[in-house]
Amino acid sequence: MSTKQINVVDREGQQHVVEWSADQSLMEVLRDNDFPILASCGGTASCATCHVFLEKEAFPSSGDRSEDELELLVETDTYIENQSRLSCQLGFDSSGEGATVTIAPE
Amino acid sequence: MHEPRIPTEPIIIIGAGHAGVSVAAGLRSQGWDGGVLLVDADGRLPYERPPLSKDLLKPGSAEQVTPLRRAGYYQERCIETVLGLDIRQIDVENRSVTLSDGSVRAYHRLVIATGSTARALRIPGGDLPGVQTLKTFDDAARLRTQLTPGARVVIVGAGYIGLEVAAAAAALDCDVTVLEFQDRVMSRVTSEPVSRFFEQHHENHGVRFVFGAAVTAVEGDERAERVLTADGGSYPADVVIAGIGVVPNQQLAEAAGLECNDGILVDQHGRTSHPEVYAAGDVTRFTSPFDGSSLRLECIQNAQAQADSIVHHIVEKPRKDPDIPWFWTVQHGVRLQTAGVRHPDDDAIVRGNVEDKKFSVVYLRNGKLSAVDTIDSLKDFMAAKRLIGAALDPVLVSAPGTSLAEAAI
Repeated sequence: MSTKQINVVDREGQQHVVEWSADQSLMEVLRDNDFPILASCGGTASCATCHVFLEKEAFPSSGDRSEDELELLVETDTYIENQSRLSCQLGFDSSGEGATVTIAPE
Repeated sequence: MHEPRIPTEPIIIIGAGHAGVSVAAGLRSQGWDGGVLLVDADGRLPYERPPLSKDLLKPGSAEQVTPLRRAGYYQERCIETVLGLDIRQIDVENRSVTLSDGSVRAYHRLVIATGSTARALRIPGGDLPGVQTLKTFDDAARLRTQLTPGARVVIVGAGYIGLEVAAAAAALDCDVTVLEFQDRVMSRVTSEPVSRFFEQHHENHGVRFVFGAAVTAVEGDERAERVLTADGGSYPADVVIAGIGVVPNQQLAEAAGLECNDGILVDQHGRTSHPEVYAAGDVTRFTSPFDGSSLRLECIQNAQAQADSIVHHIVEKPRKDPDIPWFWTVQHGVRLQTAGVRHPDDDAIVRGNVEDKKFSVVYLRNGKLSAVDTIDSLKDFMAAKRLIGAALDPVLVSAPGTSLAEAAI
């Protein structure tokens, strides 16, 4: 199965290189690497506890946000219009090799 | 400075649902260096449960379910897993458990996260083939093969599970009848306006409801063929699904002498009546930190919060306050999300227009926000989670164009 490596910046600002397998959402990758995201809805765009920021340049190619995803994100304190995504809604093709993803503050 | 002693025995976790896996992963994240053993009777890689009654039953869905952690996760973190074996007995005096293969394992601390079992239909014929419940991946996979076009599906109980299955079955062109003892859907968890909205919504998709239905028997020669009700009703069925709630899997705990009362009793740290035994998730009963009531909460938020409490208690670190309890269900594409725990006698204020299929019902107890049901209104859901406990102006709550935060007094 194809994989890629991405950089994840945690809430303390530390950068980590992690591997992403094609059958996973980004939320699953973060959870598998013990980043402190709750993901308490199991990846159904219901809770906004897996909020991440993408790089501005990479954001447009990550795909459209559903109405549910956008409503949840907008209500978080740290929403950034052209960077915020729910990581459970990001499939393997949403980001390229070497992309950097930042975990949003709680 | 003395080195902390690493116990030789592992922390044993019984049950690999959300609660059990969160404890195992949390112990490692919080730096627990001792052994961790995770045991579950289900032989599969531990998986997400919410999709079982939702996406997994959808037309054309892939017959697989998201794992809670990828396959290599447990081994890489030295979390020993025993999947496919039951626990036969807990011995709190000797700090050990006996597995179903007869082996005995000693523990340093024990975490019971055995979850709940779907309540069986205890009526004549309730055990006939064709009568089933939905709790595990195998249940969902079996049900998926039976929900064929034209199949007559009779669902007993109009709670979350019954209604999610009703929606899935209707989408798969089954002939769907829901028998409910109460006079409206989801009566335990929501108010009348929300119940009536979902009733209409299901009826628009071809689901039939029979309220006040006391189910008395299932009949059939080899398998279920019809469901009978006390008023003489007879409902032909190819598939019967019981969605009548769950019972906590507390038998092991009870036999071990732990205090139980429709759930294993735990404190705010997840401790049972025995200091070396913890419990988390659906199987527990506890006192709500929000309003002092005695609760059993069947939701992921609670499983994760209790797991977090246990982990922090074991590693002796302070923890963050738990999130507000919340729940969600999706039926025919309409999303109901609830934040907080409503009491039946709370004041209910409808916010927005029910006809728009996008509204909320705000619950106030002594003028303070106790809970909210949001129907395709996630903005209100997010806002309400922050405002639980705050005093709200009831006029402003229902005023168009006013946000919930603006209604705070």
